[in-house]
Amino acid sequence: MGKIILAAAFAAMMSGPALAEVSFEGKTIDVIVPFGPGGATFVSAKFLEPYFEKHLPGNPEINVIDRPGGGSILGANWFEQNAKPDGTTILFTTSSTANPFVLGQEGVDYRLADYRIAYSHPFSAVAYVAPSTGVTKASEIKDASAPLVYGGIAAAASDLPGLLSFEVLDLDVKPVLGFNGRGPVRLAFEQGSVNLDYQFTPVYLTQVLPSIEAGDVVPLWTGGSIDENGKLTARDPIAPDLPSVFEVYEEINGQAPSGIEWDAFQSIASVTYAYGLTGYMHPDTPQEVLDAFAAAVDAINADPEFQAESQKVTNGARLNAGPATEEAIKAALSPSPEVREYLRNLLSEKYGVNF
Amino acid sequence: MVENAIIALGALFEPMRLAALFAGMLVGIVFGMLPGLGGVAAVSILLPFVYTMDNYSGLAMLLGAVSVVYTSDTITSVLIGAPGSPASAPTAIEGHALAKEGKAATALGVGFLASMVGGLTGALILFVAIPVAGPLVLLLGTPELFMFALVGLFYASSMLGKNLAKGLAAACLGLLLGVVGPAQAAADFRFTFGQVYLLDGFSLTIVALGLFGVAEVIAMLASGGGIAQERVKVTHWAAGFAEFWRARFLVLRSAVIGVFGGFVPAVGASASTWVAYGHAMRSSRDRSRFGKGEVRGVAAAEGANNATVISDLVPTLLFSVPGGPAAAIFLGALFSFGYYPGPRMITQNPDLMFVIVWSVALTSVVGAAICFAVTPAIARLTRIPFAIIATPLVLVMVIGAYQSTSTMGDIFMLFALGGLGWLMKHAGWPRAPALVGFVLAGPMEQYFWLSNQLFGWSWLARPGVLIIGSVILIPLAIHGARWVRAARSKPQASVSEHATAGGAAPVDADDGARANLILSILVTVAFSYALLEMMSFNPSSRLMPGLAIFPGLALSVLLLARALPQYRAGQLPATEAVVLAVLVAYAGFVWAIGFSIPTIALIAWMLLARAKMRWWIAAIYGAAVFAVSHVLFGTLRGDVPVGALVPIG
Repeated sequence: MGKIILAAAFAAMMSGPALAEVSFEGKTIDVIVPFGPGGATFVSAKFLEPYFEKHLPGNPEINVIDRPGGGSILGANWFEQNAKPDGTTILFTTSSTANPFVLGQEGVDYRLADYRIAYSHPFSAVAYVAPSTGVTKASEIKDASAPLVYGGIAAAASDLPGLLSFEVLDLDVKPVLGFNGRGPVRLAFEQGSVNLDYQFTPVYLTQVLPSIEAGDVVPLWTGGSIDENGKLTARDPIAPDLPSVFEVYEEINGQAPSGIEWDAFQSIASVTYAYGLTGYMHPDTPQEVLDAFAAAVDAINADPEFQAESQKVTNGARLNAGPATEEAIKAALSPSPEVREYLRNLLSEKYGVNF
Repeated sequence: MVENAIIALGALFEPMRLAALFAGMLVGIVFGMLPGLGGVAAVSILLPFVYTMDNYSGLAMLLGAVSVVYTSDTITSVLIGAPGSPASAPTAIEGHALAKEGKAATALGVGFLASMVGGLTGALILFVAIPVAGPLVLLLGTPELFMFALVGLFYASSMLGKNLAKGLAAACLGLLLGVVGPAQAAADFRFTFGQVYLLDGFSLTIVALGLFGVAEVIAMLASGGGIAQERVKVTHWAAGFAEFWRARFLVLRSAVIGVFGGFVPAVGASASTWVAYGHAMRSSRDRSRFGKGEVRGVAAAEGANNATVISDLVPTLLFSVPGGPAAAIFLGALFSFGYYPGPRMITQNPDLMFVIVWSVALTSVVGAAICFAVTPAIARLTRIPFAIIATPLVLVMVIGAYQSTSTMGDIFMLFALGGLGWLMKHAGWPRAPALVGFVLAGPMEQYFWLSNQLFGWSWLARPGVLIIGSVILIPLAIHGARWVRAARSKPQASVSEHATAGGAAPVDADDGARANLILSILVTVAFSYALLEMMSFNPSSRLMPGLAIFPGLALSVLLLARALPQYRAGQLPATEAVVLAVLVAYAGFVWAIGFSIPTIALIAWMLLARAKMRWWIAAIYGAAVFAVSHVLFGTLRGDVPVGALVPIG
């Protein structure tokens, strides 16, 4: 017993100074957002900025910098060339950066799967239909009385997980792609020309929820969140009443989803929804820096002010960090060759994407 | 409701908030005047401050900046001829022509007053329309948006100029520039040459700056003189007030057109200005001055674009669908302050809505007054040798262009398109249609594709489509009927008209025959290549490029055939060619060895070789210009371009 205590004290002494070594005092951390300053990613980065300034050791100044262009590829490429390996440059981005990397698109210079993961925030989405389809709950989706029309932006970008969820559930959906944002899709839904839509958290809470209460919209499902085994089966806390895609499949087919469609969906949906907004760091960033960020994330999650604010914006979503998060994201960024092949084939044959 | 309006006015009149509003407005005025740094740059530079303020102050600051930009960019459009945005293209055409005649004061006076009226009309409509505008915006589905783009295109034909072939070829060239990047319909990336830079297509700022700004700056650097033959006097505003009063109803009608344009996301902002300009032309008895300096054109355009920028907030606030990039940033700021625009916003935050209304109304009046006050000082600048003014302008344009993606591609593209604009200017190809084609190519393709996907061809019979379509068809029918009547009464008249149309080419061929030949060759080659690459696209991605390429190729071959026999050697202004070459070389050196050394060299060359300044004045002035540009880079971007070969800043 005495030995154990001694060992623990020794360990504490050893780790104490090691932790204290990481301090951002007087330093500036650049958070690179590869989108324009009005977008959801930029707004989220600004939302998190004061909490990291408060809880990181040494209270660094955080500078959110937008570097839009090339559908986020230009900003990510800039990060690849210019990031410092000491945790003072962070690439804060979404699946719009991850998907071109996973699919191996031209022009991608960044090695996303090699990067260290400092922190991540969910970016949940909820699927919903118009009541005119006759659908009243998720399991009735295959019996829709009207043809399902889905509005989206581009197959290989943020619409990919939504389209893959239709593949998993084997739905007959007519995708109309080419809108220039989810806002216009939402407008088209209200106008009645689109009747199946996915919207991300803030828009869901502020625009879709009122329509649900008014009876103009029938909510269906969420992409799901990661369970204790790292699988995308759990319900999303943003809408705990709604089933995940996993559950909907189970209810319709009487068994758990499997196969290449499910694997592809799980991989892409994880980086889109569960780890939708992720802060990446240079591959050579020391573990101590990552530990400092993980500690800051714990402190932010426990901060009552953060809890109150995030309740308003994201229904109380929490940040993730640490080895388990990093492992899950890296796994999602490096799918098996079969999944990659499946995705490329699906995109080029069904959606005409040229690789 | 009135109660909320008064509460909001009281809230806005707190000293800190008023200060924030006016600070934003001053930034907006300055950035509106600097070519290439319009509302987006003004809003971006204010964002860090906005986040440190309380909600009303922050939003008032942004609104102050956004709603004054179209007032102050009148100054640049008129004095230099470089429009800050496509919505100011008519102002640049008519106002700059007036300035060259020494009537800058009239053009500016009318422009400011029309801007003020436009802004106030926009604020008034925002006040009364917000509760009822929701259903109106919902009526505008993708087919109606497509029709609106078509209306914009139709009325923009007023800017085609005298030579129809050149005007249309320029429009096709603009359409071709507009289809570069991602296709709306299928997942094709068109004409990107494997460059990541082109994946998003060209930036509007860079196209507008390149086509107009660079060409004007090249002329300024090459010549010693001012814009006007005589001194530009802008102390006598009386003529401006009189002209404005004469055009008051036109301004009001244009403001209403602008307001409706603002309700239409994406295409509204620019298209409504062109519609107002076209309307001014159609409603004028004497059209002979249009294109050569018609003050009614300025009145209409300025009345419309200010109303638009304000009513743009309607779709932003009701549906979170921003009408333009500046509105998008404003939306982001709303999110950050915990406001989530949507159907409930009006009932939940009525005070906020009125803070917005009061902010834009106040800015419109005070902004116009400030523009009146500063213009005499700015006009005095036009008496200074132009190379001295052009020096900071070149750097401002580089900084403005660099806002797009912060990569060297921005700077290369600025001068590449600048070369194109310069050739067009000398070859007598009108540049406004190219800008129109560029702006409308994307939305037209997108809305056409979405309409057909969602509705098949049945969208053509939608009531909204028919109503908007009548805006094109009725003037066409009236025009056609008049033409038939005229043709019947005087059969020879139309023949002679044709003769002058055909004979117009040789007249302007005297000027810049070599530029015309080079441009015709370049454009023919570009269209031919584009035709070749188009064959590899998905069928649905070929429509819009086809619309640009087939007529464009035919027209450019025709223009080439006309240009060849007219060719005479040695007609390109040699000094201007040297300036262009220096600017291109500058871009190359910035890429290779970073910003500082080439910029210092460029400033020295411009001030010593072009402006012929004494070396010690040049040293002081040049150092100031360099320092300011460095600070601007720092505040806007955080860094200056770093060299690829020698990694220094």
